[in-house]
Amino acid sequence: MNHAKKAAIFNKNEAKVNWHDKALWYVREKRDNAAHDVRGWEYLREVASGIKANVLSDLDTYLIEFESNATKNGIKVHWASDAEEHNKIVHKVLETHNAKKVVKSKSMLTEECHLNPYLESKGIEVVDTDLGEYIVQIAKETPSHIVLPAIHKTKEEVDALFQEHLGTTPSNGNPEYLTNEARKHLRNKFLEADVAITGVNFAVAETGGIVVCTNEGNADMGAHLAPVHIACMGIEKIIPKEEHLGVFLRLLARSATGQPITTYSSHFNKPSEGSELHIIIVDNGRTEQLSREDFRSSLHCIRCGACMNTCPIYRRSGGHSYDATIPGPIGSILSPGKDLTKHSSLPFASTLCGSCSNVCPVKINIHEQLYKWRQLIVKDVKQPVVKKTVLKIVGKVLRNRTLYNLAGKSARFMLKYAPRFMVYSKLNAWGKARELPEIKNENFDTWYKINRKNNG
Amino acid sequence: MRVGLFIPCYINQLYPQVAIATLELLEKLNVDVYYPNEQTCCGQPLGNSGYEDDSKGACEVFVENFKEYDYIVGPSGSCIYHVKKHFDILEQTSEVIKVRNNAYELCEFIVKVLGKTDLGAKFPHKVGLHKSCHGLRGLHLGSCSERMDPHFSTEEDLLNNVNGLELMSLNRKDECCGFGGTFSVFEEAISVKMGKDRIQDHLDNGVEVITGADHSCLMHLEGMINRNNQPIKVMHIAEILNSSI
Amino acid sequence: MGRDAILKSIKNNKPTLIPSAEINLESFEEEIDVLTAFKEKVALVGGTIIELDSVKNIDTKIKSLYPNISKIISCVDESQLGTILISEKTDPHKLESIELAIVKGELGVAENGAVWISENDFPIRVLPFITNDLILILNKKNICSNLHEAYKLIGKRKRTFGLFISGPSKTADIEQCLVIGAQGAMSLTILLIDN
Repeated sequence: MNHAKKAAIFNKNEAKVNWHDKALWYVREKRDNAAHDVRGWEYLREVASGIKANVLSDLDTYLIEFESNATKNGIKVHWASDAEEHNKIVHKVLETHNAKKVVKSKSMLTEECHLNPYLESKGIEVVDTDLGEYIVQIAKETPSHIVLPAIHKTKEEVDALFQEHLGTTPSNGNPEYLTNEARKHLRNKFLEADVAITGVNFAVAETGGIVVCTNEGNADMGAHLAPVHIACMGIEKIIPKEEHLGVFLRLLARSATGQPITTYSSHFNKPSEGSELHIIIVDNGRTEQLSREDFRSSLHCIRCGACMNTCPIYRRSGGHSYDATIPGPIGSILSPGKDLTKHSSLPFASTLCGSCSNVCPVKINIHEQLYKWRQLIVKDVKQPVVKKTVLKIVGKVLRNRTLYNLAGKSARFMLKYAPRFMVYSKLNAWGKARELPEIKNENFDTWYKINRKNNG
Repeated sequence: MRVGLFIPCYINQLYPQVAIATLELLEKLNVDVYYPNEQTCCGQPLGNSGYEDDSKGACEVFVENFKEYDYIVGPSGSCIYHVKKHFDILEQTSEVIKVRNNAYELCEFIVKVLGKTDLGAKFPHKVGLHKSCHGLRGLHLGSCSERMDPHFSTEEDLLNNVNGLELMSLNRKDECCGFGGTFSVFEEAISVKMGKDRIQDHLDNGVEVITGADHSCLMHLEGMINRNNQPIKVMHIAEILNSSI
Repeated sequence: MGRDAILKSIKNNKPTLIPSAEINLESFEEEIDVLTAFKEKVALVGGTIIELDSVKNIDTKIKSLYPNISKIISCVDESQLGTILISEKTDPHKLESIELAIVKGELGVAENGAVWISENDFPIRVLPFITNDLILILNKKNICSNLHEAYKLIGKRKRTFGLFISGPSKTADIEQCLVIGAQGAMSLTILLIDN
């Protein structure tokens, strides 16, 4: 089902749409306030974009530098070409340590690789420890937002889930109570875990270290209790120098939630005595995106989610309408690169308003890339016959003044004289919720001829 | 200075009053304005739908019609944005470059090129300004709420000088109306919901007349207002400015 | 597959080198009173900040804040309230029921109320997270304006593990309602001293 159909279903419940829209608009406003607080914000974005552009243009050098420095510090570095290889590497590390219980903090990369079902099929328990991820895990859903995974769930829905899975008493969705109950449950999981898996927010080439940012402290609770920590990263998470963290950490949380910084920004450079730290560097379509000149800068993405919060379509259709690991505007320029046919409706799920490009902390020109994907999709993906035929005809009409005049006259005639049931039939999608204008006098061409015929 | 008047196809056919207002306004400002009568369309509906290649013919007709003029002025931010941005698909002859560089949306032409903000107009009503996206973020007609730039707005500069006009403040200053060209048809549910929310914002803030510089947005909003019999009117900014001078 | 394939693919697909530009840090400088700004931000992120007249008052203050707790780990010389001793060899799981940890903060950052702490300051990495409440002792002279400055100041350290910690653990994952106290410490108190 394409985005439009899923979005139409989502819109059947207008109250829910309003609730979802307002919740995310509120996050967007918090981001605005936080950005206002930073002197030179627009320059900071420029700097971040420049750093990422440099990284992408020398990515292999930086990755090799990173690997060398990390290895010197006792970190084990692995490389995975695709999702399957990534999952196998994770599993191998788990097997080596006879690990049966895993705790995982937020990692969109592991979502992309479908790691959880893979490990579960091997008899390994994986618990997502970010509260939002935990909620969608027990609901057996996918996250609908990359930073706020359970934004689509009401507190009453969460209450029902916790009653079922944690045995909580009904609380009308009391957030403090539910969070505290989750804390107790997850604490046991941290204490029992054999291995902790985390994502990577930034990997620093010059030091071989990684940074993991959370508000809850769940990445650290996992990583510092389990004797083995596996950190999974896309190749594009590299930044050249530690000082560049100053740029990115100033941008990330402000763009994501409007906070000046996440509660914890943990810098891992060496495993602790007696522990192991593994980093898996993953391609999974990124080097291919690197080859696409028009879409390369989508790899700047630092996964803040600001584009989703500002997008009027995302707010009113919800992340699940995109049917992609990463939804929203950024998802709509990343996903077609992976599967053009499956995701062909996504670049069209936009009015190209341009707000996403303006909030992107790394200045990805998202709305321009959406436009460019559209040109590729109509060439390579089978289009609905009606749409393709009509638009090709329109092309012919618009370059021929006579045809254009004729089309204009016919349209005006139809609108003025055809009975309402014909004009507003099921074929007229515009007319489902909107009136067409009343045709009164002549069109402008005719008016001009009559009133100004000496000019032009 | 010879100005070629560009009238978007749907305004020509469906909203001629906006075209008439634009022409009269420019004439009243002593602009030597011509209407090339072989013009068709800028090609935007095709480009936005992914059929950029099929729009080349229309773009070439546009250049052919307007290459003689010092400025090309049209009452549509999105069409002018399309000319400036997406005519890069044509071979960049000196004519194409001239047309791209000298295409102006109406308000921008009045304020930047003519240097006028007070036109002596009068419109004693509560007005809500819809800041159309392509004009705002594409042509930089004003600052936008998500960027940390000093505030400015070409349309506000004009409207604030209209006698008796009260410019009302909205809850969301520059959220998209949901038209988006073929989006309005292919993602109809969201398009309508976005339009509905925009209209409600204006109603909630006491607006009597919604205005803007892009009639595609206004057409979408007016279509919904009329279907739902809502007590609010829609007028293109050219009509407001022209109506009393 | 793997390393060689990835590096080869990058080499083939990467664009012409785009050089990195110098960052003009002056663009971010502001005339602010770092101490006032720091105190405001700590409160904003849900932390508590208390200025002490003297280092000698640390224990008195802590006892008044936490009169009834017994399981305390002190990693600072300035506090004698520790009841449990730990070393690098302690099994981190044993810290499960620690009620209060007192740790030295190395550097405060005014723009976000964060404090840099590192493995130099506490022997077991999980301590600042697993403890129920956390107190940081910070010298008020060690507060810088923003993260660019902070990274300059911590740039010469021996790198093992460290973090910027800003306020207590928190989440807004249930209908955007902010809840203080998620998986990490339930509270964060900064005692500002002057020596």
